[in-house]
Amino acid sequence: MNEVTSFLQLVVTAMVPFILAAQGTMIAGRAGVFNVAQEGLMMLGASVGFLVSLTFGGNLVGLVVAGLGGGLFGWFLGWVTTRFRLDQFVIGLALFFAAAGLASLLYKVVIGVTLKPPLIPTLDDLSIPGLSAIPLVGPVLFQQSAMVYFAFLVSGGLYWLLYKTNHGLKLRSVGENPKAADSLGVNVARTRIWCSAAGGALMALAGAYLPMTYTGTYTEGMVAGRGWLAIALAFFGGWRPQYILAGSAFFAGMEVLALRVQVGGLDVPHQFISMLPYVATLLVMMFALRWARIPAFLGRNYDRESRTSH
Amino acid sequence: MTTTTAPVQTPPRTETRGGRGHALARQVVSYVVAVLMAFVVAGIIIAVLGHNPFDAYRAIVTTSFKSGFGFVETVHKWVPLVLLALAFTIPLAAGKYNIGGEGQLLVGATASAAAGILLADLPVYVLLPLVLVCGVLAGAVFAWVAAWLMDRFGINEILSTVLLNFVSFGIVDYVASEVWSDPAAGHPTTIPIGEGGLLPLVGRPPMHLGVLLAVLVAAATVVVMRRSVPGFELRAVGANSRAAQVHGIRVGRVAVGSLVVGGALAGLAGAIEVAGVHGKLIEGMQSNYLLLGIIIGLIARGNALAVPFVAFGIAVLEVGSSAMQRSAGVPSEMVLIVEALILLFLLFSDVVGARLRRSSR
Repeated sequence: MNEVTSFLQLVVTAMVPFILAAQGTMIAGRAGVFNVAQEGLMMLGASVGFLVSLTFGGNLVGLVVAGLGGGLFGWFLGWVTTRFRLDQFVIGLALFFAAAGLASLLYKVVIGVTLKPPLIPTLDDLSIPGLSAIPLVGPVLFQQSAMVYFAFLVSGGLYWLLYKTNHGLKLRSVGENPKAADSLGVNVARTRIWCSAAGGALMALAGAYLPMTYTGTYTEGMVAGRGWLAIALAFFGGWRPQYILAGSAFFAGMEVLALRVQVGGLDVPHQFISMLPYVATLLVMMFALRWARIPAFLGRNYDRESRTSH
Repeated sequence: MTTTTAPVQTPPRTETRGGRGHALARQVVSYVVAVLMAFVVAGIIIAVLGHNPFDAYRAIVTTSFKSGFGFVETVHKWVPLVLLALAFTIPLAAGKYNIGGEGQLLVGATASAAAGILLADLPVYVLLPLVLVCGVLAGAVFAWVAAWLMDRFGINEILSTVLLNFVSFGIVDYVASEVWSDPAAGHPTTIPIGEGGLLPLVGRPPMHLGVLLAVLVAAATVVVMRRSVPGFELRAVGANSRAAQVHGIRVGRVAVGSLVVGGALAGLAGAIEVAGVHGKLIEGMQSNYLLLGIIIGLIARGNALAVPFVAFGIAVLEVGSSAMQRSAGVPSEMVLIVEALILLFLLFSDVVGARLRRSSR
């Protein structure tokens, strides 16, 4: 396998957490709930996914439980911000702390402090017959783990949901103009709560992917800012699933590039290379935001009894 | 692109019928209820994990007051916490979220260490102020970068500040392992700064004078926020930025200024950590001060006067957490959950309190 193919293969592998976490941010945000707990929910997903997989001996059950846990946090965010109209950022930050604390706590309770942590098997590659034989495209796109296909399917599914169904139209209207949506009989609170729950589940899945792909175990700091970058990606992608999917290639590319250059021994101190994804993100955001648009009610709670529309 | 719009939980104005004392009493009650409920819920979790919650809480609450060393450790921990909490609170008053205190602290610490190492031979009355000022300036400049990105390009300040944290990790790692590395340390660490750059120690067990500095800064912040024109403009922007603009306040400039001042305080925290605690730059010295600073700022509801007191409570919890892990076997992360629960219950108590008042009317 040549250099280009293996590089692209790594990029696609690295895209998954970005895709899932950013699509989770997007789906909640399109309904008006701005979740800022990504980083914590990814830690929780990584920890829970690892621990459950280890205990029950299967990665699928780990993914499911991690997703449910993240969904519960997302549901809570949606519930308190609609039912009680508490500040979305404050609750999001509180959930971030709770999830981050819980992630480390659960790991310590189940595993304890050991020099040699137990490992879970990483996800197997699933070659798709026929398609994987195509030169270049085959190995890059069709010799990947099931989660890669899942991430692409989720993106496609969300695109279809948002733009091709009646539910999607209602969902988007809740994020753009909840008053109008409410007057037409759309249940604003319920839409927001379930979108937020789905978003939380996707973020936790993004976290659970990390131990199952890279390390085989949970380590503190393994999320390494991917959660915050996912927020950047949601903005960068204009809160639209198709652009988020494309944008995740850029974020993953930066990550793999930084790793490659460090290993390749370029004459730049590796510390500066490690800044690359974050600096590049800021630089891109400087220009991307000129055209990016965001849901009008993003981060704002809806009070149906308020006299003003804002 | 401005997404932060909701006026943040500024403390309820005292316009209610009961007057000022009544409102204060209500605040105190809601704090007590929130703390108690957080401890009850966390106690249930501890019991489920198979430990004795009372042993755990005894370790948490008593460690700071059992010995002079425990108390000084708590006060030393209080300094960065109160400064980072103010670094979060000041921009919060203008409706801006500074999640970059960690990076501002680290860059401040790096600049302080650089000054202390490069000019190590200067006498104390020159070097010490220089070390502190370098930290403050570096923190301010680092926060200004984020503020400029926000103001000029409309990048959400949560993102611009948080992403710069990761940049600062690289800077610290580079300085501590390539520029002034101490090879004997076995961990990215710089060589010690000059004697003249160290904060004087007083008392027994020794306490560094950065504590005094933090007290002064916290007091000055309260006065400026409440009694000065910039403080008024800051609160006006946070309360209703459109109204503030109509009345001639330069909203963008106030928001940028609040972030820069916040960065300066975080930078001061870094400088004090270098000059008072470690005497050098160490990778990872930021601990989890960022998270704690945000928690403190939110628990204090953005009230600068409440910040030092809340910060002291959190410092007690943090110092007690390692004792709890040693003596009661409860993982120290439990404390982070307690803190998150306090915050959540506090927010809920507002809702419940408002309902109760409405129904009793």
